[in-house]
Amino acid sequence: MNNPYQLTSEYSLPEEYQVPQRVIASRKRPVSWLLAHFYQYWYLGLSMLVGAIGNASLAAVVPMMVGLALNALLEDPPATGSLLRFALIIVGTQLVRGGLQLGRNFSAELLGQKMERDIRHELYTSLLGKSMTYHSLLPVGDVMARATNDVREINFMFSPGLNLVVGSANFILMPIIFSSRYHPALIAAPLAFLVLYIFALWQYLHELKPITDAVRKAFGVLNSRLAEAVDGIETVKGMAEEASEVRLFAGNARRFRDRQIRQGDVEARYLPLLVMGLAIAGGMFHAILLFQRGLLEVGDIAAYYGLLGLLGFPTFVSLFAYSQISLGIASSRRILELINRETELDQNQAGHKQDMLGQIQFLDVSYAYPGAENTLEELDFTIQPGQTVAIVGQTGVGKTTLAKLVNRTYDASEGAILIDEVDVRDWNLAALRRGISIIEQDIFLFSNTIAENIAFGKPDASEEEIIQAAKLAQAHEFILSFSEGYDTLLGERGVTLSGGQRQRLALARAFLTDPRILILDDSTSSIDSATEDEIQKAIFEAARGRTTLIITHRLSQIRWADIILVIRQGRIIARGTHEELINSSKAYSQLFKE
Amino acid sequence: MGFFSNLDVEAYDREYSDRELLKRIVFYIKPHRGRLIGISILLILIGAASASLPLVISNSIDRLAVNKDDSLVTLLIGLVMLAALINWGGNWLRRRMTVRVVSNIVMTLRTDAFASAANHDLSFYDKYSSGRVVSRITSDTREFGQLILLITDLGAQMVQALILGVVLVSLEYRLFLYVMGFLPVVFFIARSFRKAARKVTREGMRAMAKVNATIKETVSGIAVAKNFRQEPKIFSDFNQANIESYRINVRRGFVLSLVFPVLNALGGVGTAMLVYAGGMSAVQGWVTIGSWYLFVVGLDRFFFPVLNLASFWAQVQAGLSAAERVFALIDADPAVVQTGMFAPERLSGRIQIEGLGFRYVEDEWVFQDFDLNIAPGENIALVGHTGSGKSSIAKLIARFYEFQSGKILVDGLDIRELDLTAYRKQLGVISQIPFLFSGTVAENIQYAYAGSRPDEIIRLAREIGEGEWLETLPEGLDTQVGERGAHLSMGQRQLVALLRVLIQNPAIFILDEATASIDPFTERQIQQALDLILRDSTSILIAHRLSTVKSADRIIVIDTGRIIEEGTHESLLGNNGYYAELYNTYFRHQSLAYVEESGKLL
Repeated sequence: MNNPYQLTSEYSLPEEYQVPQRVIASRKRPVSWLLAHFYQYWYLGLSMLVGAIGNASLAAVVPMMVGLALNALLEDPPATGSLLRFALIIVGTQLVRGGLQLGRNFSAELLGQKMERDIRHELYTSLLGKSMTYHSLLPVGDVMARATNDVREINFMFSPGLNLVVGSANFILMPIIFSSRYHPALIAAPLAFLVLYIFALWQYLHELKPITDAVRKAFGVLNSRLAEAVDGIETVKGMAEEASEVRLFAGNARRFRDRQIRQGDVEARYLPLLVMGLAIAGGMFHAILLFQRGLLEVGDIAAYYGLLGLLGFPTFVSLFAYSQISLGIASSRRILELINRETELDQNQAGHKQDMLGQIQFLDVSYAYPGAENTLEELDFTIQPGQTVAIVGQTGVGKTTLAKLVNRTYDASEGAILIDEVDVRDWNLAALRRGISIIEQDIFLFSNTIAENIAFGKPDASEEEIIQAAKLAQAHEFILSFSEGYDTLLGERGVTLSGGQRQRLALARAFLTDPRILILDDSTSSIDSATEDEIQKAIFEAARGRTTLIITHRLSQIRWADIILVIRQGRIIARGTHEELINSSKAYSQLFKE
Repeated sequence: MGFFSNLDVEAYDREYSDRELLKRIVFYIKPHRGRLIGISILLILIGAASASLPLVISNSIDRLAVNKDDSLVTLLIGLVMLAALINWGGNWLRRRMTVRVVSNIVMTLRTDAFASAANHDLSFYDKYSSGRVVSRITSDTREFGQLILLITDLGAQMVQALILGVVLVSLEYRLFLYVMGFLPVVFFIARSFRKAARKVTREGMRAMAKVNATIKETVSGIAVAKNFRQEPKIFSDFNQANIESYRINVRRGFVLSLVFPVLNALGGVGTAMLVYAGGMSAVQGWVTIGSWYLFVVGLDRFFFPVLNLASFWAQVQAGLSAAERVFALIDADPAVVQTGMFAPERLSGRIQIEGLGFRYVEDEWVFQDFDLNIAPGENIALVGHTGSGKSSIAKLIARFYEFQSGKILVDGLDIRELDLTAYRKQLGVISQIPFLFSGTVAENIQYAYAGSRPDEIIRLAREIGEGEWLETLPEGLDTQVGERGAHLSMGQRQLVALLRVLIQNPAIFILDEATASIDPFTERQIQQALDLILRDSTSILIAHRLSTVKSADRIIVIDTGRIIEEGTHESLLGNNGYYAELYNTYFRHQSLAYVEESGKLL
């Protein structure tokens, strides 16, 4: 099956967890995508509709029975016998109505919850399949906002959004359907309401949209500057800028107020309310005219008045029910944007799978981030298995990008990178990544125990193996200093580790998987010399016997590397051993002056 | 969500008596009394118009039942039309006025709250997280505004209910009593629902938070997971949390779905009983048929506001406690108190500390009887273990905290008698994590001196490391630094902060040096910028880098609030005393000798 929206993926789920084909095929447009999801639960939509129709029509029974009762009372003598019958009909229908309304509400609720669950699942699995390039270019906060708020918004779109839209639409229909029972002409008022209501509501929603956006934006400005000023209060005070910050805040608060008032003014002019009032007045006038011509009974006027009263529900809920729907559609657009974004890398199942030796060659490699100028230009060098290479340069010159080209987090824009003389793009991705371990600048540890974190890449590792790896990484001692030792829980509910400790755990992780190539993006600092000794030892140990690319601020690591590459503005401006560079490169030799 | 807002009580919160709270609220409301009177009149008008609708209809029915051609009826229907117009027009005016009152009050309250927050000293911010301070300024003020809105919304409904209630009582008190009999039942059911809803909502939120935490953890750690090909593991964690959240939230949904059906069914039963009982009263002649009809249709309009009352009180309380939190922020006692307002001329930078006593918390003295003299233009480095008190000295000189005894004199002037703004304009302070505001690099450099000329900035920026640091900024000085400077590296942030001080050219320079790791190229440029500042200012350096320590004229070694050694780097190292020990603990690994030595670890 050739489907343009079945994107290449780095990872595929077992069949039972896969997203249905119908949904995948519909990913082009938000509405059809939502419908494809909805299609799986069509029966809930049906029961919601049935509940809504039942609820509205039984709600209409009350005024009709009251009208009949009124007529009965006006008979001479009053027909008290039928009074009880009408009362019982009201009791019966309203109890049934409660059940139907519950059916409507709960169907909508179930629908919303299932949508939320399924879409979150779909988004999550799609994220799992995306390349590391994709993830490293996307801010975590952005992904989180979509995976949490936007997914929730789709739930709200069904319940209460769609529930109220369907429910209230039926309340508009009932007066139109039932008023002709009394006189065909009485359909005029509810029909006129329908037309004017649609028009007024459409106008209202269109006028309001840009204004609420402006309000939200003004609040964003107000809030983010406030948070900054409070966080940076020491700077504000140190520079004696309190007064100007207060002025700035007051200005932001004023702008927010002005927009809020504009929004309030539009909301105040909510025309459907006027339309409803006029429909009721006009309808009553009409009914009385008909009555005076002898075409209606008194009770019919009362019943008709009650039927027109049903219009109140749609008038009030449409204040937000329709916005809820459009919010949901906007959210699904944002979610689809994440899901549909291309990811160039795939698993390359059929690729090269030999055991890795660890030779790395860069052949005239250039790299540019999408839509930007070249970050790296014409890099050309060879690293023999087992060598240690230090990459140095200012922060931001592209050192990290260079490292990420090796394990295919990014693919070179020009030129090629060979490992063991095979282009990395021809390697089986899993085999490539198994051979290469990368320790990133921000070391991520899961909220599990220390042992689980060390064994993350090798879940079946024995306790001895874990301890051995920790010892090599100089982590064993500080781990034992915690009362729970290797079972110490990390993260929010556990222990917070220092940068140096995190780094040593990451190194332990690498020792356990024993990669041929180790890439170490090292930017931790040690407060004290004793810790520094430990870290130096751990890094030297990690580099032993494998090809190591190290991006570091540590002069010792630079000093003792086999090759040093000095990068400036994306190019290699000097290369060689320490002894060579200290004489040949001014930029390099300056680093080693006291 | 009133019930979440009472959870975060802070120590600066105070209990206001009702009277005091009312006085504070009135203070903010008073300027708007004209509009408030207008709103009240409109509320009565709108309430009356809404109540008149069923009254007019039932009256017409009475008349028409007697005389089919009663001409007054046409007039009455005209009244219905008028009521509709008043209802809409009145609401239009009322809402316009209300939004003006509410947003103005919220704006004033916010600005006042932020102005006081900006004036609180740093001991306040040590105690209270900035997130909570921000939420008081934005969310709590908004909640208070909502309260005003709520009161006016409910006001119209209550007027309507009151008018209908009075009419119904005077028509037939027995029927009215019968209607009132329903009230406790409705109230009871509404309250039980609120309680149940609160419980299931809390559970639902907790389950949601768990899913979100799982997603956050795996999204942040996805690089690690992919590196080690552990996708199935994180997927199963997620899947579990997702299904669990679904299960719990469906239960919540069921409870919430139940509310209106139950109330509607109950309303149906009430109406039916009224139809029957009222009808029988009409037959007996106790009430007219029109009045009977009024009872039937008035029931909803009477009960709806009453139902809202059930949740009203909780919301009022939430709004009031929000107001209380805002006032508590405004009223928090300042710790730093100035006794004078003297604005000094350009200072020479002599600093004398005499017999200083200082503590952050009761019974834990940081210094007692501490003395230190710094000559104009002198650069001193403070070194010592964490907690020795070295940062406190700098913060006291910057007047961020109040000290308990002794004196700090600057150019012979007691700093408690200075105009703080004028004094701090002559201070250059860089905190351990240099703070930048969103905006461009250039805007940040001229943060305190918006008037400085752009070419001056460019000249200075180029002077540092021949402008090498600007190469990695995509737009040079016009690069956006992002929120809190997040787009820049720590080293770049430090450079910007140093340039900020260079532009300012302060008499006294206070640097709490960052401990973050900085690449050696940037570090060299930082040293250059630092040297430029040290040339022209009296400097107090809380040093973490060996090169900074070495660039000081005098090193002051502090331990537990006392000076135990002072001198130059070489002389102190030669003494082989406390400083030598500190050097071996903190600075040894930064020396070139260590770099050569480390080869032995290979």
